[in-house]
Amino acid sequence: MSTTATDEITLTRKDFVSDQTVRWCPGCGDYSILAQMQRILPDTGVAKEKTVFISGIGCASRFPYYMNTYGIHSIHGRAPALATGLAIANPDLTIWVITGDGDGLSIGGNHLLHAIRRNVNLNIVLFNNRIYGLTKGQYSPTSRPGTVTKSSPMGSVEQPLNPIAVAMAAEATFVARSIDSHPQHLAATLKRAAEHRGASFLEIYQNCVIFNPNEWTDLSDRKNRDDSILYLEHGKHMIFGKNRDKGIRLNGFTPEVVALDEVDLDEILVHDATSKPLASILGSMEFPDYPAAMGVIRDVRKPDYAGELIGQVETAQAQRGAGDLNQLYLAADLWTVEEREITSVASDGDGMPITGLDEEYIDEMDKPEEVLSDFQDVLVTNTLAELRPKVPITVGKRSSLARTVRQMNQHNIGCMLVTDEENRLVGIFTEWDVLNRVAGLVDDLTQETITDYMTADPLTLKEDLPIAQALNLMSIHGFRHLPLVDDGGQPTGIISFRDVVGYLNEALEEK
Amino acid sequence: MNLQTDLKSEHISHLVVSGFAQVPLGTSVRDTLARMRADRRVVCLVVEEGAAAGAGDGQEEDSRQARLVGIFTERDVMRKVVDVPGMLEKPVDEVMTTDPITIGPDASAADALRLMELNHFRNLPIVDGSGRLLGIMSHQAIIDYLADRYPVEVLNRPIDPERFPRKAEGG
Ligand code: SF4
Repeated sequence: MSTTATDEITLTRKDFVSDQTVRWCPGCGDYSILAQMQRILPDTGVAKEKTVFISGIGCASRFPYYMNTYGIHSIHGRAPALATGLAIANPDLTIWVITGDGDGLSIGGNHLLHAIRRNVNLNIVLFNNRIYGLTKGQYSPTSRPGTVTKSSPMGSVEQPLNPIAVAMAAEATFVARSIDSHPQHLAATLKRAAEHRGASFLEIYQNCVIFNPNEWTDLSDRKNRDDSILYLEHGKHMIFGKNRDKGIRLNGFTPEVVALDEVDLDEILVHDATSKPLASILGSMEFPDYPAAMGVIRDVRKPDYAGELIGQVETAQAQRGAGDLNQLYLAADLWTVEEREITSVASDGDGMPITGLDEEYIDEMDKPEEVLSDFQDVLVTNTLAELRPKVPITVGKRSSLARTVRQMNQHNIGCMLVTDEENRLVGIFTEWDVLNRVAGLVDDLTQETITDYMTADPLTLKEDLPIAQALNLMSIHGFRHLPLVDDGGQPTGIISFRDVVGYLNEALEEK
Repeated sequence: MNLQTDLKSEHISHLVVSGFAQVPLGTSVRDTLARMRADRRVVCLVVEEGAAAGAGDGQEEDSRQARLVGIFTERDVMRKVVDVPGMLEKPVDEVMTTDPITIGPDASAADALRLMELNHFRNLPIVDGSGRLLGIMSHQAIIDYLADRYPVEVLNRPIDPERFPRKAEGG
């Protein structure tokens, strides 16, 4: 879906972050998807007030609360229906539909189908964790046969739906897949979905750490994932593998995995995102028999629903004039329904019985997380204080650029913290700022004040937070330096990429 | 399990490394800065001959065949350019680091990291056997690797640690 920005708007990730407390379980893949969404939206150039997130019910459907845009947390499964109405009523909006495997494919299966079939200008994102998370762990329409859950204690006997195949069956004009644990790929794929005009369908494999934590292990394991994922690129050969030594070839109508050194390169399939049969083949390739196809599977242009519909209305109005709703009502047979005496039904009006069942589940969730390896333990329990953060070098906010640069060179640092009169952190100024906004652009460094060149209100951390928190910010936003502050907002230290990598590299070192 | 074991088994070509800006030898410092800004890159590779195109994403283009003669980074801008009068019109040759140490794509990430620590490098150009410039190894690649390797611990954390729910509600 594409919208051209009328005015030059430069938004940042922060503009899309709401003030709501995120209520997903710690470790839930939804966090990663949220972070990438907030990261890519500024790049799409669409204003906040032109952006709407509509969801149904489920863990994923809490998404609109966390986006600082318009949003509706709607009825179970009905997000596509609501979104269709909105897209027709106001075709200028960029509408995202956030749904899950249960909400989208079971409760709202038909709504999803028809929104896609009509090619309504929506970006539909389906978080597939193959479980009902919000209701605490029942098998879903995408759970594999044999999945043992609370509602299938002997294993599910049902055949799962394949979301990509469903979208293809509904003639989707844009079909893509990504995974929460691969942020770069996820961001790029979200952007492609946003660019497509018409219904974009994006399936995201998402980790429910609480109720289905092992579902995507093979695809998310950083060491081996490239052997399990086929990254699609239009016009490129379907080559995959950690060492890019395997490919996909067609044998009749059946795809097969071949070793590259045993076949000619021209036997290997070339991805064509405009080919419908190819999209169906890619969608049908189920892991582990095949690598999971990720990226844009299909991308074609067709007229979108609202555009066509509005076009027809305009034609009709041009031929027959504007309609009159009142007149239409009054033209029909009319009658009045009389009120009758109602005998009231007794009700004790009290709430639902308490079963005690919920407590049991809550206890289960409160169990300490299983620690998988010592290294993961280091990430989540060792605090930033253990990195022995460098004593911060600061300048006052009235300092000149010249003074700041001189100080940075004197101390040989790439990042300066800027403070106010009370020594509270108000900004950060880095080498990149020097390159990007100062060098060769500012004539007299002594005449300029640092506040006009720094990044104001930077993200900060406290020393007692786990190292993983710093890694999170560094990897998602590419921040190379993170200031640490105390409760009063005064800087206590600064950590860099290098500090974190250096510390972790020596952690648990074999003696 | 520790990080070193992981990094020993990963080739640099298995990491997502950074791109770079590229200019031919003799380019003025002013134009070099403009190139870096346009490409949004903190590292610029200075090459002999060959077109200076691309931001370092494509690995298959011919422009990569140009021979690497120097490296110029944001740190050089800081130390040698920004408050030194008259630098902008000089050729980049005078402020770059000549004949930078490089690493091959098949070296392990652990080796790259060791080389960087030893020399206090923050950026290490990756060059294959036929001289193609493939990218820049930096600490960022390790940070990103860790994030992907431990998504539950690293990626899936609340954005604002101050607003962590006291009790997860399962959605
Ligand atoms: S129950 Fe599962 S899907 Fe829902 S928030 Fe928790 S981890 Fe995420």
